[in-house]
Amino acid sequence: MKRALTAAFLVLVSLPLLYAMSQLPQHGSATSPAYTHIAPRYLERGPEEAGAENVVTDVILNYRGFDTNGEVTVIFTSLAAVFAVLLAGREGDERSASEPRARTTPEVSPVASFVVRLLSPFVAIFAVYVVMNGHISPGGGFQGGTVFGALLILATVVLGKATAEKLQPARIRGLLQAAAPLTFIAVGVAGLIMFGDYLAFPKAAALAWVRTLWLIVIEIGIGVGGASIISAIFWQMGGDR
Amino acid sequence: MTPSSLLVGIIVVPLAGAVLTPVIGGKAGKHAWTWATTVMVATSVIAAALVNQVARTGPFSAYLGGWERPYGIELRFDEFSASVAVICLLGLLAIVFSQKYAAKELPPARLGTYYTLLLLNLTGMLGFVVTGDLFNLFVFMEILSLSGYALVAISGERTAEMAAFKYLVMGAVSSLLVLFAIGLLYALTGSLNMADISDRLTGSAEVPAMLALALLTTGFMVKAALFPLHVWLPDAHAIAPSPVSAILSGLVVKTGLLGMIRVYQIYYGAKVLDLSSLNTVLVWLGAISIVMGAFFAIFQEDIKMMLAYSTISNIGYIVMGLGLASQYGIIGATVHIFNHALIKATLFLGAGALIYQTGYRNLSDLRGVGRSMPFTTAAISVGAISIVGMPPTAGFLCKWYIALGAVQAGHPVFGVALVFGALFIFVYYIRMVNSFYFQAPIHPEILEVKEAPLTMLAPVLILAALCLAMGLLGRIPLSFIEPAVTRLLGTLGG
Repeated sequence: MKRALTAAFLVLVSLPLLYAMSQLPQHGSATSPAYTHIAPRYLERGPEEAGAENVVTDVILNYRGFDTNGEVTVIFTSLAAVFAVLLAGREGDERSASEPRARTTPEVSPVASFVVRLLSPFVAIFAVYVVMNGHISPGGGFQGGTVFGALLILATVVLGKATAEKLQPARIRGLLQAAAPLTFIAVGVAGLIMFGDYLAFPKAAALAWVRTLWLIVIEIGIGVGGASIISAIFWQMGGDR
Repeated sequence: MTPSSLLVGIIVVPLAGAVLTPVIGGKAGKHAWTWATTVMVATSVIAAALVNQVARTGPFSAYLGGWERPYGIELRFDEFSASVAVICLLGLLAIVFSQKYAAKELPPARLGTYYTLLLLNLTGMLGFVVTGDLFNLFVFMEILSLSGYALVAISGERTAEMAAFKYLVMGAVSSLLVLFAIGLLYALTGSLNMADISDRLTGSAEVPAMLALALLTTGFMVKAALFPLHVWLPDAHAIAPSPVSAILSGLVVKTGLLGMIRVYQIYYGAKVLDLSSLNTVLVWLGAISIVMGAFFAIFQEDIKMMLAYSTISNIGYIVMGLGLASQYGIIGATVHIFNHALIKATLFLGAGALIYQTGYRNLSDLRGVGRSMPFTTAAISVGAISIVGMPPTAGFLCKWYIALGAVQAGHPVFGVALVFGALFIFVYYIRMVNSFYFQAPIHPEILEVKEAPLTMLAPVLILAALCLAMGLLGRIPLSFIEPAVTRLLGTLGG
């Protein structure tokens, strides 16, 4: 009964939504405002004035870089939220500490361990490639950082947390986790001081290489921050228990 | 400092402060409090400079990355954005208050995270109120919502985690509605800049524009906890640590209302729809909120639960004022956004001080506490008088203006509802004051407790003094906001 009511409610809600969608400008039509207002400028002048061949990179890191500055802050916030919920100090923690649980981690097969060791350098190089290549082709800091974060997680599972953590020394781990917003702030403030606007890139045609360089700096910051945060969340969820 | 770099600073300074808190706070967050306080002092200075600027020259913008409207992201500081002042003030006082409170109530391992999340939450709100870009608004809404959910859960108690989860589910749905609406508006106009959307929305298809309006309103009203979308609020606000309750109840719910003001700015300017039916719904829901919030508050024993329900009533007042769409109504509503923040922070921080010193949170257990903690209870009483709306306190002028707005809009009956609601509210606050001062204590040891420590007492007293001052100097915020409201209604053509 409850299910039938829920289904009926959802159908009822979806009808006006679908009707309104049908009244939108035709998707894909050349006259739709989404393609005629600001998009042409991005497509026509993006590579030349924003610094990257890949127009998506131009939009997310340059034209609308401040949104991405906010998005990396959301990712950082999610890490803080995981800490807020999972860090030690929860009710009943003392009890679980005094009665060590049986470790259920199975023995890792030597084959899997060998293959992971063998592939690690290649995965790492691929991650760097994805980060650095983001300004020409699809990819960039978020994707490359995720690949590297996955490598750290894989290394944790196969080689143990202690080995994997060596890649993120405890002394600078806080900085690594904040790398993405900090890079944005550094580039942003540099733009504010040199060109008068936060996140402003040099505009002169001769300085195209500076624009590209700054984009790569931001990509690296996002990649480092992303990888650190993904692995930290994984360690927090699995490692301390 | 140019106005545009100040405008960037109001976001970037607390943001840098927040992400550096785990680094500078050190092990177990030893220096986190000092650092967070320093950051908020610096941010408050910037906020004061910004408000001064807008009072002298009117609204101004910063174009991020140097890309002009509509190609890049614009930060826009208008009179409504002046709420940065109250955000910074409450943020600073809540952080000062937290020094002793958090050290006692939270697991030590979470202290650094606590201050990080508080600063992130404040950053999110500051960004939310100064941005002129609709998608950027959404990004900041995510920062402030996500940190808000985590702050409710941070004490680590089961009930807190459940309350945070409920808040998360409701909040995530509301974010989704807002995001969907942004997508619709982009499809209609091809733009994300709010001023540009408003210009380009004129003459576009009505049905999708109406759907976007409905989704934005619903999404923001969930954040604002308007009846019947309030179900997440009482638990989340009552169970969170008291400084967090003050921030959530005083500020975070207001972002929903400030978001609604941005929606009005877009739609009134675009003249694509007649908003009078939406306004009628909002006025009615506001009136129901006032009465229902007050009704539930009467039955609460837990002091913080009572304060949480009282927030629902006050959101009702503000939504009613906005929905009346008359000059007085909107001025009253906007000023009540500021004043209620001050009042509710006084009450929640005061209640936090009582709970910290006595260990009790039920009104009956707190009987007689007025004799042992005279300053804190006096401050709470000032807050209570203000929230009822008695002259000469901060609550009076805005409620008076909303009532005038009801008359001006030709619906004096809502003015009556407002006075009726105030009577209800009076009943339960008088119950609180009565148990503090006039009832025999159940627990004799309550007469032995000491007054709260200075870091807790000072913020509460400052806020209580402001509640009185805003009543006596009430003309200043009213005349400050007036040009913005005139502009808003001027675009309406009435």
